[in-house]
Amino acid sequence: MSRRRDDYDDDIEDEDQDDALEEDDDDDDYGSSRGGGGRSGGKRRRSDFIDDVAEEDEDEEEDYDEDDEDYGGGGGRGASKRRGGKAAKKASGAGFFELEADVDSDAEDEDEEDGEDDFIVNERLDPRDEEDARRMHRRPLIAPEDEQEDVEALERRIQERFSRNRTEYDDDDATEVEQQALLPSVRDPKLWMVKCAIGHEREVAVCLMQKCIDRSSELQIRAAIALDHLKNYIYIEADKEAHVKEACKGMRNIYTGSSILLVPIKEMTDVLSVESKAIDISRDTWVRMKIGTYKGDLAKVINVDNVRQRVTVKLIPRIDLQALANKLEGREVQKKKAFTPPPRLINVEEAREMHIRVERRREQTTGDYYDNINGMMFKGGFLYKSVSMKSISTQNIQPSFDELEKFNHPTENGDGELASTMSTLFANRKKGHFMKGDRVIVIKGDLKNLKGWVEKVEEGTVHIKPKAEGLLTTLAVNEKELCKYFEPGNHVKVVSGAQEGVTGMVVTVKGHLVNIVSDTTKEVLRVFSDNVVESSEVTSGITKIGDFELHDLVQLDNSNFGVIIRVDSEAFQVLKGVADKAEVELVRLRDIKYKIDRKVSAQDRYKNTVSVKDVVKVVEGPCKGRQGPVEHINRGILFVYDRHHLEHAGFICAKAQSCVLVGGSRANGDRNGNPLASRVAQLRPPTRFPNSPGRGGPPLPGGRYRGGRGGKDSLVGTVIKIRMGPFKGYKGRVVDVHGTSVRIELESQMKVVTVDRTHISDSVNVTTPYRDTHRYGSGSETPMHPSRTPLHPYQTPMRDAGATPIHDGMRTPMRDRAWNPYAPMSPPRDSWEDGNPGSWGSSPQYQPGSPRSRAYEAPTPGSGWANTPGGSYSDAGTPRDTTPTYGNAPSPYLPSTPGGPPPMTPSSAYLPGTPGGQPMTPGGGGLDMMSPAVGGDNDGPWFLPDILVNVRRAGEDASLGVIREVLLDGACRIALGASGNGEIITANPNEIEVVVPRKADKIKIMGGEKRGATGKLIGVDGTDGIVKVDESLDVKILDMVILAKLAHLS
Amino acid sequence: MFFHIVLERNMQLHPRHFGRDLREKLVSKLMKDVEGTCSGRHGFVVAITGIENVGKGLIRDGTGFVTFPVKYQCVVFRPFKGEILEAVVSMVNKMGFFAEAGPVQIFVSNHLIPDDMEFQSGDMPNYTTSDGSVKIQKDSEVRLKIIGTRVDATEIFCIGTIKDDFLGVISDPGTTS
Repeated sequence: MSRRRDDYDDDIEDEDQDDALEEDDDDDDYGSSRGGGGRSGGKRRRSDFIDDVAEEDEDEEEDYDEDDEDYGGGGGRGASKRRGGKAAKKASGAGFFELEADVDSDAEDEDEEDGEDDFIVNERLDPRDEEDARRMHRRPLIAPEDEQEDVEALERRIQERFSRNRTEYDDDDATEVEQQALLPSVRDPKLWMVKCAIGHEREVAVCLMQKCIDRSSELQIRAAIALDHLKNYIYIEADKEAHVKEACKGMRNIYTGSSILLVPIKEMTDVLSVESKAIDISRDTWVRMKIGTYKGDLAKVINVDNVRQRVTVKLIPRIDLQALANKLEGREVQKKKAFTPPPRLINVEEAREMHIRVERRREQTTGDYYDNINGMMFKGGFLYKSVSMKSISTQNIQPSFDELEKFNHPTENGDGELASTMSTLFANRKKGHFMKGDRVIVIKGDLKNLKGWVEKVEEGTVHIKPKAEGLLTTLAVNEKELCKYFEPGNHVKVVSGAQEGVTGMVVTVKGHLVNIVSDTTKEVLRVFSDNVVESSEVTSGITKIGDFELHDLVQLDNSNFGVIIRVDSEAFQVLKGVADKAEVELVRLRDIKYKIDRKVSAQDRYKNTVSVKDVVKVVEGPCKGRQGPVEHINRGILFVYDRHHLEHAGFICAKAQSCVLVGGSRANGDRNGNPLASRVAQLRPPTRFPNSPGRGGPPLPGGRYRGGRGGKDSLVGTVIKIRMGPFKGYKGRVVDVHGTSVRIELESQMKVVTVDRTHISDSVNVTTPYRDTHRYGSGSETPMHPSRTPLHPYQTPMRDAGATPIHDGMRTPMRDRAWNPYAPMSPPRDSWEDGNPGSWGSSPQYQPGSPRSRAYEAPTPGSGWANTPGGSYSDAGTPRDTTPTYGNAPSPYLPSTPGGPPPMTPSSAYLPGTPGGQPMTPGGGGLDMMSPAVGGDNDGPWFLPDILVNVRRAGEDASLGVIREVLLDGACRIALGASGNGEIITANPNEIEVVVPRKADKIKIMGGEKRGATGKLIGVDGTDGIVKVDESLDVKILDMVILAKLAHLS
Repeated sequence: MFFHIVLERNMQLHPRHFGRDLREKLVSKLMKDVEGTCSGRHGFVVAITGIENVGKGLIRDGTGFVTFPVKYQCVVFRPFKGEILEAVVSMVNKMGFFAEAGPVQIFVSNHLIPDDMEFQSGDMPNYTTSDGSVKIQKDSEVRLKIIGTRVDATEIFCIGTIKDDFLGVISDPGTTS
């Protein structure tokens, strides 16, 4: 390579001139140089063409000459001296010619040696050369005359030829057929693949050449080729295998011992066109820069210099004018640039203002004017840069729409330009781009704008069934003339490009551009119709990279955290946890430290405790008035999800201080199946709390605002786990706090113990896998009621009324436990029931208030149904006074309300507006329990694939199945049968029950930090399962509720 | 479009409710369960207008719950492609505006707003014609045509256009099409 470049540096003539000069040379020279070129690349085809003529028309001597020339060429520069008579003949002409001829053959030889046939490629692409070749052949006697021409005449000719080249450049259709004729046929010499030592391919080829030079008459091979990309083999062109063997005899690095393979005729062209494909750069193609400041930037090829291996590209400059000005004026030049300036079209005026010298120069080759600033050329704001072919990548360039738009900006001729860029995009189409049934439109040719459906796809040709009347049969159309077509309203999925995976509805179609409204973000996206397929699926694209998922709360660095609001192909968009200011940052996976998955709570403006899923209203700051459930809490910052907020995926970041709790808290305790905790808390005199706006019910005297309790004893009533000391592992409820010691009522032993405050952990939350994976639009927002306490079936009428109402028992057992005959029952619960016998007597009527209207007029949870069942119980003569614990008990099913924004959910009506002072009995829960089939709908998100479940559909018996897939809306695709080989159905989460594993079963963990992990249940201890996790072989104690039996998949 | 249709549902009732009010309870529970829900096939159940019949209850083994097949008449609302609807604008942004027709949310992209209407940002973002005579902002009432629907388990989302004759802001809210 370098050698060739040197040669070229010597003479400034470009390739066209070479050709022109070559023409001036005699025919022999021409023919021979062609013969030499026949070894490689496209010239191979040409040589065939010539061979046909040469071999048939010319005598043996000609052939000999050809060979001779080969040797000469192979010898490089010096070899030309060995040309004998011919060289002498040339010497008789102008010395100038001699030099040129030498260089020419040099260049070709280099090509052979390098195995790169750029030069040849160019020739093949260039129809003019083709013509030249033929013409020259026809005019064998032109050379002597030419030799007598003076240099000026020559120059003229060069000019003429040169300009003609420009005009005819694009006319490549004419040669298409002729190219075909050049393909090798059976009569042509064959290509043989010969094994050689690795790394010696070139050497072998050169040796063969030398051998040919030395013993030209004996060797009957035509050519030897070493390809750069092919190790261990060289190709030899010869008529017979014996010739190859003969040639290879005695060569050190050739292994003729192994077989010599014949390259099939069909593949012969491929052998030599592989490399040319790789550097098939033509004008107007899109490329990307590989190195330097512009790394990764899109560029448009303006000019290609195949000889020098350089390409002129058009780029959007990344130039810091200020820095440039400083540099030019010699002021404090910054040694190291910390950043690369953003791409921006340059404004020459601006540069002038900064006293940067701008020269206006004319480029010699193209005749265009450029603004030259510090050696860089600009035109129309773009930077024109000459780069090495090696420094650009040409494969699979998929310019995004934005990039293209930037490029088109200044030209302002809009569609025309864009259309041309489109055509280049088609080159990047994948195979199998069109599928049967696709709707397409013809974009080129006579049938332009004809719409139709794809019937059949063949290589390069698509058979379409036209939509138009009168055209009944199918039409065969070139793939390049077709474009996918969509109509507004189509539901589509983006299958490639930056927005890959997004689904949405088509809003408008403009040529090749389709505007779609994303299903999840409700944003309008512009995509190429090529990248889109029709689909009924609803996804938001990728929602997960690594461990981080959409809507996760993540820690970015020590002080920053945020919620992932969007997942791009490589990065996340994170709404940072900065209150009152929506700060979105694009972060990469490695920039995220970890996922924040803690159960914390914060205090709102009125010191009410706000937990995740509580509905709050923002009363201060820019987001004032917004309202929605809290999705994440961290350091006093709430991330609120407001369905009506379209920016940032609906997330609002606000200080807890500037929010007000709306409706009841569905605090963790409740969700944990521990309604008691909050109940107890409510006994304490509540501090002030806001009347939730919009609530229809009367002001509440307290009750549900469990946040009412003071900060000091916030621990009291909570269920904790002891993590140290003699009672390690026990769970219990805190009854009192004395300084550093805590009195805990143990769950399992019915006694109160005192432990150190530091010895406890509030870890019981692990039992709430619910909600963790709440997703927008998921089925968890179904307006159904989960039955929190489906325990009734187990209630015995023989309950002992005198039984102590053990508090622990009041923890509402999880549904699964309740349903699971293997899970232990908590008998104390019954006694608690008994504590309110009144509930049995009362008939929990629904309020007769117009239920019809409530559905739509309940914008805030709990507004419509202020007087919910709870009211009915008030008249019941419950012994609540004697057991004041239950006095202010909020509805046990309060927490079970789906957390989604529920204007449409009648369930919102279910939030009892006035539980204060009215004892909610578990009987109230019974209302819900009526329909276990609809219960537990919130469980949806924690279902995982491959677990064994019972499907209970209304009116059908339960059937065993295996979850195959959890759909976005919470529903699951379930394969029936214990091993999942039955039919596949889709079931709503409320119809699904997890099969509780038994000892020694394989299980899958559905919640907590190990969610998704599999393991083996090695024992059951009360409500806890002892699990050996497969992955780490750790033994963990996990709540049975989050364990599901893994299916034995067939 | 609204339909008055008969649907069937299996209701499960807790034994405690058995008694003379059983039917009433069944109905109130049905209303609670069904009204406001959305199914892809029928659309939103707006209201239950009557009970056709309540079938024989079947006691479930083990639970004591009783399943009643209930046939009920209800009004359902389902938007269709090509349907003309009147809706109230709920939000305006530069991408277009969102409007609500009852429970259905409809998005009208700025591509589907007549070209002479331009987006004006500010306190009250709106789309206004160049002469200022027509203005679409929050709480405006518009007549639009649905060009696409997407039905989820729990909601129906539509895309509409006002780029057609006789579509756009309607001054008189009482007008029906």
